[in-house]
Amino acid sequence: MRSRVAAAAGAALAVVVLLGACGKNTGQGNKVDNGRTPTGVIATDPKDSMGPAAPVPGAANGGTVTIIRQAKISHLDPQRVYSFAGLMTAPLYSRSLTTWRDDGKGHLTLVGDTAETPGKNVNNDCKTWEFKIKSGLKFEDGRAITSKEIAYGIARSFNPDLTSGPTYIQEWLADTPQYDTKWDFKANKTSLPPGLTTPDDKTLRFEFAKAHCDLPFAVSLPSTAPLPADKDTGVNLDLQPFSSGPYKITKNTVGVELVLERNTNWDPATDPVRHQYPDKFVWSFGADPEAGANRVISDSGADQTALAWNGIPSSLVSKVAGDQSLKGRTLLEPTPSANRLTINTQRVTDLTVRQALNYAIDRDGLIKSLGGETVASPLTTLMPPSTLGWKQFDAYPAGKSGDIEKAKSVLAGKTPELVLGVSDDKDGTEVGTQLKNNLEKAGFKITVKTIPADAKLDETKKKNNPWDLYADSWAADWPSGASILPPLFDGRAIKAEGNSDTSFLNNDSINAEFDRVLAMDPAAQATEWPKLDERIMKELAPAVPLYVDVAYYLHGSKLGGLYVGSIFGYPAFTNAFVKP
Amino acid sequence: MARFLVRRVLSATLTLFAVSVLSFLMFFALPKDPVTGMCPKNCNAERLERVRQELGLRDPLVDQYVGYMRGIVAGRDLGSAQGGHCAAPCLGYSYVNSEPVTSTLSRVLPVTLSIVIPAAVLWLALGVGLGMISALRRGTAFDRLAIGFSLTGASLQLYFVGAVLLIVFVYNLKVVPVQHYTSMLENPAKWASGLVLAWVALAFLFSAIYARLSRAQMLETLSEDFIRTARAKGLAKSQVYGRHALRAAITPIVTIAGLDIGGALGGTVITETTFGIQGLGRTAVEAVRGGDLPTVMATVLISAAFIVVANIVVDVLYALIDPRVRLQ
Repeated sequence: MRSRVAAAAGAALAVVVLLGACGKNTGQGNKVDNGRTPTGVIATDPKDSMGPAAPVPGAANGGTVTIIRQAKISHLDPQRVYSFAGLMTAPLYSRSLTTWRDDGKGHLTLVGDTAETPGKNVNNDCKTWEFKIKSGLKFEDGRAITSKEIAYGIARSFNPDLTSGPTYIQEWLADTPQYDTKWDFKANKTSLPPGLTTPDDKTLRFEFAKAHCDLPFAVSLPSTAPLPADKDTGVNLDLQPFSSGPYKITKNTVGVELVLERNTNWDPATDPVRHQYPDKFVWSFGADPEAGANRVISDSGADQTALAWNGIPSSLVSKVAGDQSLKGRTLLEPTPSANRLTINTQRVTDLTVRQALNYAIDRDGLIKSLGGETVASPLTTLMPPSTLGWKQFDAYPAGKSGDIEKAKSVLAGKTPELVLGVSDDKDGTEVGTQLKNNLEKAGFKITVKTIPADAKLDETKKKNNPWDLYADSWAADWPSGASILPPLFDGRAIKAEGNSDTSFLNNDSINAEFDRVLAMDPAAQATEWPKLDERIMKELAPAVPLYVDVAYYLHGSKLGGLYVGSIFGYPAFTNAFVKP
Repeated sequence: MARFLVRRVLSATLTLFAVSVLSFLMFFALPKDPVTGMCPKNCNAERLERVRQELGLRDPLVDQYVGYMRGIVAGRDLGSAQGGHCAAPCLGYSYVNSEPVTSTLSRVLPVTLSIVIPAAVLWLALGVGLGMISALRRGTAFDRLAIGFSLTGASLQLYFVGAVLLIVFVYNLKVVPVQHYTSMLENPAKWASGLVLAWVALAFLFSAIYARLSRAQMLETLSEDFIRTARAKGLAKSQVYGRHALRAAITPIVTIAGLDIGGALGGTVITETTFGIQGLGRTAVEAVRGGDLPTVMATVLISAAFIVVANIVVDVLYALIDPRVRLQ
């Protein structure tokens, strides 16, 4: 029985975990709904991973969906896709080992995509994983997809020429960040990286030196897309990927237009999440955010079936929000992108100061300064509500606008002098002014120092940076606490620069807890991370949770089936259709 | 004429050589590391260094420059990280666009040419025509109207005029399609309708300046002795104005037009951005922002080439228009 377990668990249970409050696709309104508790499921029954996907009510075949975006998608090669636009487009033309079934209302199910299930934890130690590959999978030229092509796709991600993609699996297989020196892809194109084997055409096996219980999540990224070796054109594949999904790229004019048309060799019976309603998807690049939104507002011709990918710019928010006729064409939802005021614990060593900052924070004022609820939604936890198992708590309850008196009492007469580093752009300046005015009411003396916007990320990641506070954000690659808390707060990974732990928190007890939870299967982890989130906040307060970004999109009157994906917080196309 | 042309071409080559050296040095002088642009995330220091070596960025500067110039003339092998062999004229590989820079340029150059050339015809015809007629009808209502037009045009900005045109004709009246480039060879009607607002916006602003300039030049020429002599000899008005006055008045306009058109061909950044059309100018700006230095370098070279060629053309036109000028 144990051998049939999916994901990391080893038990044949579909594990339902509570997710946090995700917003809804308002459709009829312009309010972000934070009051729902959707669920996350890791499917174990192979039936859950088979198609066809449930029909979308009202959907019809035909038509062209246009997506208007200012800049091109940085990479299309599945092994290099890592931008949000790329991550949302890749499922149209490439399939990964696992994928998320997302109902658009926050209910998630991890299912097998090319695999029959989200994987088998062979020895229940997260070191050996096996995936059985579905039958009936085909590439765009009709060739069958086997474990060999999937393994080759993973192997080519070791190619140092193919920059920018995720590196989890390479690093886990090689057991080092220097994976491309551990195994030289170019010299070993006919073999596979260490730890990756294909015992037969239907089986793919990973063997790691260390436990990696998040593998079922990690293989949901497009970097596990299959590719026949003879179709590997190296860096040139970025212009013309070879399709395994319901659409194939038929025209790619870089920076101008990307056209995807139906792939007739895709079999819906093998696919639990995708549909093939529109004849075409066309990415139209070039229009700036205002122009893109204006085109969709005007709703004429091809733009009736268009989406303005760059969202609704602040200059048009009041127009869109005030126009009743547009409300049925908007998407307004919180995203998994969580923003926090990072406290540099190397410099701010007094816990009471860090706690007082949490009591003093005026989230409501900050959100208003950023543009209101169409831009941001308040957050009091380190993990965003879209994380598997998330639970609402507020370690320092102080209301929407903060509790200045409570902060003062925690400070007990101290007037800490803190340096707040902000980017030198409009947003950074506004946040700096707002936070300074807010925190100084509680007795803090805040010196705002600007950092060049394009250098801020790198500078604040340096261990010896000269700031006490700075705003940070984190968007995880999958909705597990494992991809949020350890990267952000495991101090054993602190180095001279390039740190994700920008609080520079290094607490032995917390680190040990990370190890304990990471060794558990993902389903069991889902209930542990929220506890650790709360503990970190209460005991150490290394940050002030601020808000999650809100997605606010507008689409044409004849475009249906769009929803904001719960994993990345961007519009998803798998259910899209053109209304008759 | 032939000697003149040879001399100018040699001089232009030297100019372009200087530009190429400067832009190549810029490649290394800019704070943006081309490799971090190529590998924005998931590249640690060791990996970045390996990529630098693979790209030849650790080779001596002179070797790199010679390799670049050789690529333009004969093509070169860029290695697998940059798409393999790059045929002549090879201007490098854009890791932002994942294609050879020549592919990018061959796509965006026709766009900019399609914007600038028809717009230039419009603004020259409208501007010079308006200026000339205005000068000949000095003090009349037409003249005052023309002055008003030119003042308005000269005081407005392209991003404003463009935005107004878009809002009125595309978003509200919906009589013009969203501006978008289609090859003239593929569909001439779509080509024209997809660029018409860009032409109108450019023509409106530029023609205003040319109208003022032409009017002033014409008025000055009309007060010259040779015009009085021509009139005294009994020449017809059309001959006096068309053959003698116009030729003399238009010479400085040709100079400015040459520079304007040459500059515009190097990239109509604001026009392309306003109308969301991907031409040379916008490509150059995006390349600068994205640290896509091979594309930056190529666009700088191309822009310089346009200016240099425009200058040669202006010099030749000078001689053709004004017989007093001889090409020595």
